[in-house]
Parts: sequence; structure tokens; C-alpha cells
Amino acid sequence: MNQPVLTTASPLRAALCNMLLAAVITTAAFGAAPAAPSVAPTADETVTFNRDIAPIIFQNCSSCHRPGEVAPFSLLTYDDVRKRAKTVAQVVGERLMPPWKADPAVGKFHDVRRLSDDQIRRVSTWASTGTPEGRAADLPAPPKFTSEWALGEPDLIIQPSEAFLVEAEGRDVYRAFVIPTGFTQDRHVSAVDFRPGNRSVVHHVIAYLDTTGQARKLAAASSGSSYATGGGIGFIGAEWLEGWAPGKTPRHLPARHGKLIPAGADFVLQVHYHKTGKPERDQTRVGLYFAKEPIDHRVLVSRVNSRGLQIPAGETNHIARGTLPVPGNATILEIFPHMHLLGRSMTVTATLPDGREIGMVRIPDWDYNWQRGYAYEQPLQLPRGSRIDLVASFDNSAQNPRNPNHPPKLVRWGEQTTDEMCIAFLSYTTDTPPTRGGGLGAGASAAAKIWQNLSPALRAELLRRFDKNGNGTLDGDERADALRYWQSLRRDAGK
Amino acid sequence: MRPALAALLALLALAFAVLPAPAFALEFRDIFGHDQRPLEKSSARADVVIFILHDCPIANAFAPEINRLAAEFQARDIRFFLVHTDPDLSATAAQKHAKDFGYRCPVLLDPEQRLVARLKATVTPEAFVVTPAGTTAYRGRIDDRFVELGKRRPEPTRRDLRLALEAILAGQPVAEPVTKAVGCFISTPKRSSP
Repeated sequence: MNQPVLTTASPLRAALCNMLLAAVITTAAFGAAPAAPSVAPTADETVTFNRDIAPIIFQNCSSCHRPGEVAPFSLLTYDDVRKRAKTVAQVVGERLMPPWKADPAVGKFHDVRRLSDDQIRRVSTWASTGTPEGRAADLPAPPKFTSEWALGEPDLIIQPSEAFLVEAEGRDVYRAFVIPTGFTQDRHVSAVDFRPGNRSVVHHVIAYLDTTGQARKLAAASSGSSYATGGGIGFIGAEWLEGWAPGKTPRHLPARHGKLIPAGADFVLQVHYHKTGKPERDQTRVGLYFAKEPIDHRVLVSRVNSRGLQIPAGETNHIARGTLPVPGNATILEIFPHMHLLGRSMTVTATLPDGREIGMVRIPDWDYNWQRGYAYEQPLQLPRGSRIDLVASFDNSAQNPRNPNHPPKLVRWGEQTTDEMCIAFLSYTTDTPPTRGGGLGAGASAAAKIWQNLSPALRAELLRRFDKNGNGTLDGDERADALRYWQSLRRDAGK
Repeated sequence: MRPALAALLALLALAFAVLPAPAFALEFRDIFGHDQRPLEKSSARADVVIFILHDCPIANAFAPEINRLAAEFQARDIRFFLVHTDPDLSATAAQKHAKDFGYRCPVLLDPEQRLVARLKATVTPEAFVVTPAGTTAYRGRIDDRFVELGKRRPEPTRRDLRLALEAILAGQPVAEPVTKAVGCFISTPKRSSP
């Protein structure tokens, strides 16, 4: 939009052209918000809250920065923002806020919360020029938010049986709450939403479904209805249902799509708690919206993850890779990258059968605190024979302030925050029934079923051999290695 | 004439010895209405002034550490003062905040930001250690758990305020008298709108 149109070789004309261009660029930097393009100020006008800043704040900040929400203070009025102008300009300038970690050049997602360079410049200018309020007539209408369920009253609300106490200080807490569904038949949901009970401490929530009874056992051995975990849910075999992090907007699946909640399943809510400096209580609720139509497309969750993850101590740029075949036609609805504290970056790419590459997501500056799912605006069609590749980097040096180990030590795959993971979860549909061949359509659920069908003695033996991080369960890579080993034994036995 | 001048000088000297120096004349009511005189000459070995903001998550996250330091060092002749930097915060709101976070030292409101200006505080939480001579022996972070905004260590690796206080009590110079505090910027009262 700033392209010069003059093409003369005259030095004077060229100089004039440059001046004009400079004026255009300057004007663009102070340009008004899209809502009011007709009042774009010229460069000598001041940037005001009512005209320039309020539209940015209302659209990108206020949904979390309002009473009762996750953010620590409100950003709804001139005074709210004026008082914090310098802090706002700083965190916006560093792109810490709003928290959106995906590279805008890779993938087109719903609910993008990312400011343009132009908007950031306007906030910075406003903060450094005395935070003028501007004309009352310029102030847009304040944003309207629903205080309760964004999709309306859910068909079913589930919650832990009692509030959980979060202490004032210390490392973050991961708690898994077990809630029986009591369903006597399979149900499908078209949407799942979350209402954290205390948004100053709830950092993210992941709802899993457990049909193995293991979550109940872990809870029974702990407080009765919940147990501590290191970041996962402490066992294998549960299915990922839905995740929530601040800023997430719930949405229904496309028509005739649904996620299965098997009869008799238990919900396992894994909640990541921050500590605020004072004791807090939380009781997070989950709202279920049942599919109203027959289901043609069951939405499944699979994952592409690295193999044999081992990050040497001191390594500043350890590269991990993973790959996942796509044996049937698959439609990807959402991607959820997941690493722990050493993760630095992750890129997931699909390669179509014709060799064409499609960027699925890129997180250039991974932050464990702001992980979330990215839902495609247009679901991604991957024809049979495609492949999904993941490349991630990790910093296990002492220079990484987030490194939980002092001094750094060899880090392997595991559940604890002092271990690492390297996964992209994929919500997808497929026209091909799940197989045991691996890839989308098989993946975690098939492996879990194989695992459950093994004899307890065999499971114990595999656990002894492959539980490399000694946490009492086989995590992703360990389980894959164990099952490969077991299958090779069976092949040998069959010869 | 001469005796009169001498008497005047003596009186002045006495006045200076008894009264606080003008730069130290900072009288406050704390949030419960008690008189507080931070940075005033006292029998304390030093004064610690920590600037806070009631809705700054970083300042609030330090509350348990502040409480531990206050409990330990108040018993060793160090005075602690917490200073709210929001000029609009009411005493009632500050009382609730102090109760929620369990503060165990005087909490001051500073609506005119006199202490902010006097010590040139820029962020919350930012700690200052001022000696009885009125010099700032330490200013900066409480510890290094926050590396920068949005980046936090699992545990602090250096507890700067504690180290400074231990040094002062041992009669030693503070090894690192200035560090960079990470937190929410203190906003100065609104300038007139154009």
C-alpha cells in the first residue's frame, strides 16, 4: 500500500518522491484502526486513546483483561490503560502480549490475537507522548462480553467434587481431577468449553478421557478425587478431549462432526496452576455440548512426536525430529504443539504425495506458559500418502533461565517439567478406518489398546525394561519402543 | 553579638541533631492510620523500602519472600516499609490487599509519589536499602527469579536483597549495590491532556 508510483529518473522528482513516500509511511504508522479508516490522522496529529488506542485494546486485550478473567488487571477504560501505558507498551513491543506464539506466515488460524507492527508503533507513540485521551466522540463502543458460557448454557457441566487449594508460592502445580461421566452409552460432543473457577491461578486445562480405570486408581491412592502430576496425567492410555488456555474461544465442530465420549469413561481434567503470592482456591468447570445431529465424522486426536529424545547437558540448540505417515485421507482441524521448559522452537510441515510442502505451524519462540491449540480457518486436507514432519529445537544450557536443572543434566522424554516432550497433537477426521500400521488413524489409541491387552506380567516386564526415566509408567517414546520390542519378539516367536 | 551568634549556631546544631534533615522529612500514615517515617534517622541499622503495585502480578508473587525477609530482618534492627505506587489506591483496598498477602510490615500509601520521587523508583517490585546516613546502599530486584518480563526461573539463583542486608549487618560493603528490577512500570500522575 506504500508503493511509490513515480518512476522518473529526475533527481528532483526522485527526492520529492522519497519525501512523499516518507510522508505516506509516517501516516501509515499512525493510521487509524480498521474500524474508522476515514479519520486517519496526519503525521502531525497526536495519537489519542479514544481514536487510536482504544480499538486496539478493546479488540485484543479486554477479553482477558476484565474483572473475573485470567489477566491480573482490567484494560477497559482510558484510566485503566493510561496508568499502565509504559508496561503495556513494553509487553506489546516485545510481543509478549497479546500471547500469540504462532508465526503469522505459517497457517491461517481462528482467533488470531496478534498486533500489527503498525499497531505496536501506535501504542508506543501514545505511551511516550503523555497518553492523551482525545475527543470523547472518537471513543468506540466498549466491547461486550458474556460473563458465562460463550456458546450458551452447556448440555452438561462437570466439575471436580471439591475446590482445590493452591499454595501462595513455589513451583507450578499440575493436578489431575477425576470425574466419572456415568454415561451408560457412547456420546458425541460438538464442543467442549471451560470455565476456570479462579482465573488468577488456572493457567491451562486439558480434558482427557480415561476408559482404563487408571486415573481412578491414581486418585484413590492420593486425595480420593484428584492427584498430582508432573505435567501430563501420569499414565498412558487416556484420550485427549479438549484443551483450554487464556484467550481460547470455544467453537462447535463442523456439522455432523463429533468427538466420542465412550460409555463409562472418566473425565480427567489436568489443570496447570500458577501461584500468585497468596493462597487460592479453584474449582474449574467443563461444559459439554452434545452433537445434535448424527455423526458422519468422528474427530480423532493423534500426534507427531520425536523419537528417542535425549538432550545432552549444555546443548544450546539440540534438534529433535518426528514424522507421521498419513495412510488415509485426513482433514486436520487443529494443531497443538507441546514441549516443556527447554523447548525453543517447533515447526510442523506436511508434505503432500506430489512433494508439495504445506507449513502447518511454526512457533519461533516457544513459551511453555502460552501453549495452546491452533484451529485452522480452513481445515487442512491431507491426501493419502502425505507425511507430517516435526522439527524442534531445545536449549539445555545453563544460559537458558528456564532450565529447571542446575547444573544442566541429560534430559529425556518424560512427564515431569524437568523432563521434556516434543509433540504436536492433531485433531483430525479421516475417511479410512484406524489401522495398526501407525500414522493418522492409528496412533495413540491403537497403541493404548495393544498395551491394555497385554498380560500384567508382560506389562511389568516391559515397564522394567523401557521405563527409562523411572517414573513408573511408559511415556510416549518409551511405550513406542516397548511395543516395537514386543512386536519383534512376537515375530521372532512366529518364525 | 558574638555570643548571640554562637548561641544561634548552637541552637541550629541542636536542631539538626534532633530533627531529621529536610531531605528525610517524609511523614506518612500507613494503611491503618499509624504514623510512619521511613528514611528518618532512627536507631535502625537500615531501612528497606519496597515499592509495590496491588495488581502487578510480579510484585504480588514476591509477597511470601518479602514476608520472610521482613520477619527475619526486622528482628535484626532493619525496618521494612512497603509503598503502594498507585496514587488512586484507597486505604480500604490496600488493607484488603495486605490481608490477602499477609504483609507483616508497615504498608504506606504514597498518593503524591513522594517516596517514588525521592528514591527514583521505576518499577514494582523494586527494593531500596537506605542507611542511617541517608545513602542508598542497595537498589534493585529482591532476587533474580524474573529474568525479564515474561521470562521466569523455576527458582531464584541469587537473592540480592538478602545479600545486601547481610553485608550491611556485617559492616561490609554491598558487593552489587545496583541491580535491575524486573516488574511493572510505575506510572507517574497524569499530565494535562491536550
